[in-house]
Amino acid sequence: MTILQQLITVPSVDPDDARRRRLLNIVLVTFATLAVVGLAVSLLRTRALTIASSDELFAFYGYLAFLVIAAGLYVVNRNWSGTAASLSLVMLLSILLAFVDDPAQIADGRSLVVFAIPVVLASVLLPAYLSFFVAALCSGVITLVALSVPGVIPNTFAMVVYFAIAVVSWLSGRGLEQALRDVRSLNNELEKRVQDRTRDLREALTREQTEARKNQAILQSIADGVIVFDELGRANVANPAVNGLLERPPSRILGATIDELMESVTPENQAEVKSLFNVSTNQPAPLNVEWGDRTLSLSVAPLVADQPGVGGSVVVFRDVSREAEISRMKSIIVAMVSHELRTPLNAVQGLAEILQQGVYGQLAEKQQQTIDRIILNTKRLMSLVRDLLDQAQIEAGTLKIESVIFSPSELLDSVREVVTGMARQKNLQFQLSISDNLPAALVGDPQRLGQILINLSTNAIKFTETGSVKVSLDLQDSAHWTMAVADTGPGIPISAEAYIFDAFRQIDSSAGRRHGGIGLGLSIVKRLVNVMEGDIKLSSRIGRGSTFTVILPLIHPSPHTINS
Amino acid sequence: MQRPLAIIVEDDPDLSTVFAEAVQAAGFDSESFYTGDSALKRLQGPAPRLLVLDLHLPGVTGDHILEFVNEQPHLAGVQVIVASADDRSAQALYGKASLVLLKPISFIQLRDLALRFIGQDQ
Repeated sequence: MTILQQLITVPSVDPDDARRRRLLNIVLVTFATLAVVGLAVSLLRTRALTIASSDELFAFYGYLAFLVIAAGLYVVNRNWSGTAASLSLVMLLSILLAFVDDPAQIADGRSLVVFAIPVVLASVLLPAYLSFFVAALCSGVITLVALSVPGVIPNTFAMVVYFAIAVVSWLSGRGLEQALRDVRSLNNELEKRVQDRTRDLREALTREQTEARKNQAILQSIADGVIVFDELGRANVANPAVNGLLERPPSRILGATIDELMESVTPENQAEVKSLFNVSTNQPAPLNVEWGDRTLSLSVAPLVADQPGVGGSVVVFRDVSREAEISRMKSIIVAMVSHELRTPLNAVQGLAEILQQGVYGQLAEKQQQTIDRIILNTKRLMSLVRDLLDQAQIEAGTLKIESVIFSPSELLDSVREVVTGMARQKNLQFQLSISDNLPAALVGDPQRLGQILINLSTNAIKFTETGSVKVSLDLQDSAHWTMAVADTGPGIPISAEAYIFDAFRQIDSSAGRRHGGIGLGLSIVKRLVNVMEGDIKLSSRIGRGSTFTVILPLIHPSPHTINS
Repeated sequence: MQRPLAIIVEDDPDLSTVFAEAVQAAGFDSESFYTGDSALKRLQGPAPRLLVLDLHLPGVTGDHILEFVNEQPHLAGVQVIVASADDRSAQALYGKASLVLLKPISFIQLRDLALRFIGQDQ
């Protein structure tokens, strides 16, 4: 604020009061300045003339009084009350104006008009209604002036005019005050709204910051590595875990592209990793990649961007070295156990067969029966071991299916050999048939297909007390062929169909103990069928029997397939 | 007439007995070897008609012996039956052996197969 501004402004609680006091100050300062000028002029004139005329003296003292009064009113305005000062000024003015002209002119002549000044001034310097008071005061003044001079009648029309002026001034004063009040209220309203908005924004910002801090904390602490690549493929965010997983310091990760980070990855794997970034919508499945000394599982997701064209990707690295190692070990163990279990079992079976076939001499009847039972039991044991090893392979994900040319009729022959004895022991009919429509040569894995048929047939025989078990191979349509095993057993309840193919499940475990087996047969069958890209269906009626149908893709031999 | 020769290479003595009895029942004479080393040495001599080879041998492996048999001209006419305990190594062998049998190999099964081979090139 300039010095003049500081001089004029009076601080006040009521803005209208402050405005009026400021205006009063302006008026007073103007009057004071005029007084000073007048004083200066007067002094100069007295200097110029050697004698001071009484007029000049009067003017001098008049200006001086003016200055003093102005100063006094200024002090009152500043320190005590603006209204009091203004009222004093207006009243003084009204009285002083009575002396500016002849009394006759004041009361009833050309100088009546001067009293308009205090009336209007009042509406500006004081609360607007006080202009009526001043109008009354001025009326009083001209009346007194008139009374002081005989023969002069105060001009009543002028008094009415004074009041009329007061009305106009009051209205305009009020209008101004109202307008100012409206503006102030509008300001307050806006102020409040701005505060509300600011508070809302601050809260939103705080929430965002808390969220960001939380995410930051999560990224800092998780064991998985997270890298965010921008749309140019450069890493711009990487959490601490990445340093350990990729064995690089942060300085060599930020700003690098995925190619630069894949130094220790084989070229084939690099191509696979790059392809993860190209899928635009759905998240592809995680990919296991050998990265330096570790095996890492990578998941890539595109960053959804607000603007089209602005994007990037988020890559999550998980250390699955342990899992990969376990998987490798499992495969090794399966291979080892495979050999260790099978060899002695093979020896037992082989040696028993040697005795059975009479290589070391003819056997007595009881000896023959005993050796038969030994062989039967070793075959059962062998089958259990094979199922367990298959299950282990399934879990390790290493079960493989061959594609060779085989003959369906030879397949049936191999099944017949193994299963007929079992059926005969229970006095069950065992029939095998092939449809004429089925081609003489197909492509598949005859060993596994035989395993499926033997599993299903032995199951059927196990659970059927009377009647028959029928195995049939059929052509379903131009793209599928089927293997069906139908029995006349007790049937399978619908409720059991849901879990019947689960590993280690049997319809009821007491039946299992009666019939033997550990419940792996059907689960392995289902798994084999799945790997062959086929399907297995069950239809059953309680009390009538069940039929398991395996549907397989029909593959004709091409010149390239290997003969079995 | 002289019986044709079958050479058995199997480190488990009981299984070796089973294999030997099986080929003998089919009409072969048999010689048994329990290590890859000794089998390899023997195979440098006169060729047998039939070779029954276990893949899982200590020292010199069954694979190595198979390679050897396929490379040696004097062993060109040998029928090789490979015995394997797990299918994964068996898959790789198609084409290198006359027959791949997955353990357990039954005495009866081997005898009948050997009978087939004894009928050939006579």
